[in-house]
Amino acid sequence: MIEINNLVKRYGDKKAVKGISFTVNDGEVLGFLGPNGAGKTTTMNIITGYLSSTSGTVKVNGHDILEEPELAKKEIGYLPENPPLYNDMTVKDYLNFICDLKGVAKEKRKSQLESIVAMVKISDVYYRLIGNLSKGYKQRVGIAQALVGNPSILILDEPTVGLDPSQIIEIRRLIKALSKNHSVIISSHILSEIQEIADRVVIINRGKIAAIDTITDLSKRLSGQSKVLLTFIGPVNDAVAKIRTVKGVSSAISRVANNKFSQMEITIPANDTAETRIAIFNLMAREGWPILELRSLDPSLEEIFLNITSGKGGVKS
Amino acid sequence: MTAFFKREFLSYFRSPVGYVAIALFSFLSGFIFYSQFASGSVDIASEVISLRSFFVIIVPIITMGLLSEDKKRGTDILYYTTPVSLFNVVIGKALAAFALYAVMFVNVIIHIIVTLICGGKFGVGSVGAVIVFFFMAFMFISIGLFASAITDNQIISAIVAFIFILISQLLSTIAQYVGTAVISILGIMKIKSAETVGRAFNSAISWLDPFEKTKDFRLGLFSVSALFFLFSIGLLFLYFTFRILEKKRWSQA
Repeated sequence: MIEINNLVKRYGDKKAVKGISFTVNDGEVLGFLGPNGAGKTTTMNIITGYLSSTSGTVKVNGHDILEEPELAKKEIGYLPENPPLYNDMTVKDYLNFICDLKGVAKEKRKSQLESIVAMVKISDVYYRLIGNLSKGYKQRVGIAQALVGNPSILILDEPTVGLDPSQIIEIRRLIKALSKNHSVIISSHILSEIQEIADRVVIINRGKIAAIDTITDLSKRLSGQSKVLLTFIGPVNDAVAKIRTVKGVSSAISRVANNKFSQMEITIPANDTAETRIAIFNLMAREGWPILELRSLDPSLEEIFLNITSGKGGVKS
Repeated sequence: MTAFFKREFLSYFRSPVGYVAIALFSFLSGFIFYSQFASGSVDIASEVISLRSFFVIIVPIITMGLLSEDKKRGTDILYYTTPVSLFNVVIGKALAAFALYAVMFVNVIIHIIVTLICGGKFGVGSVGAVIVFFFMAFMFISIGLFASAITDNQIISAIVAFIFILISQLLSTIAQYVGTAVISILGIMKIKSAETVGRAFNSAISWLDPFEKTKDFRLGLFSVSALFFLFSIGLLFLYFTFRILEKKRWSQA
């Protein structure tokens, strides 16, 4: 568990982080979002002890990062944006070096490294020089480095940046697997990635927290309404006109109309239990227009993100 | 401490640096020993004392990358985010360079053995020279490490270390020049005590000269205060290095 309380970082006159507070619970995956220069990396660097905060506290499983740095750092595995790799070492030598740094006992070392190597799938490059590895493998070695010493918390700064799509998917899968046994803080530019992995999202902008919430709650709170997508067979214009008369529906917009199917986007109250959708179903059944699909459309994280960081509809929490 | 010591020491042999330093030292010591040997009068003390002139080249080579490379590659993040302390990082890296010096010194040990086999002497003066050699190595390595901490560029770090060591080797000459210059300037200004002030400058600067301080060792006259002086300067630069690394946590952008 990480408790971050009123973190401030000042560089000369410039405040990079202006009073950030949040908590990461055990076993939670927290997505960390923000435009470039928002203070994401600075915040992560402070949490891991790389930088000192100007004021405010960071407690890792109850240990203050400044007062009990050794205990706090033992609980954290950190993958910075540029993994701290030595190109002149083999993967094996490097991971053993990290074991030395983190004080992993000699007798535990072998079994721990074996399980990490199997987990991040680097056994086929284990005896090769890091300098000769591909970027994807380097990133895995970086993650392996973070896992050494069995930390309970993983902090990953843009772990998929610069990778090709198949590598991104594999790293994402790996992070998902890791999140079963670790609390994870992950920052990323790829919003769909956060959407897929994270339980909660912290959005920061210009050094301040713009929003903290789960993605679903965030979208609901932003709009107060949710949208559903209806796909059916039938005349789209007639259907739109009729749907608009259903109680609870505030708007209906046709999206697709072709000879195979029609599609429309319907806005219903966010707190709708089922009534509105039942009414829609009944209407379609009465008219004899078969429903192919009726699903809710959560606004994408991109929309939420842009809304919040551009200052519209920011949610304080 | 052992983590960085081990890594840095082994990394000397993963790159040409360790081999170049050892080859250079072997060549120089071998050349000096051979010329003595050929002329029939071997003096280990004078060999070791001559080898001290090459600190100015060898120390910058082995210390230039110790901290600057980490800074450049971003691996210095490991100093701060793992449970290892900065103090241990500094000591570990200094010891790695020191250990490389010890490896190079095997050459001299071989020369000593050859000398003894051939009926030569390894007297108390030579012991003194060897002791001074290692204290100086420690001091100059600390200075080199400091030069490596202030930049992320190996070349600049090497040049800074080179200049520091060069100045320390030229201190007695510099002291004379400064003394004479002070005397003549004050003389032009018609100040009576020009001579006294000039000499004071001269002796103040000479006081810092590590070579002057330890010159009696080869006569068998060991001075604890001189060794303490070399060791303190070394510790002082290690402390500066430590502070520079610590400062980064507070000031970097």
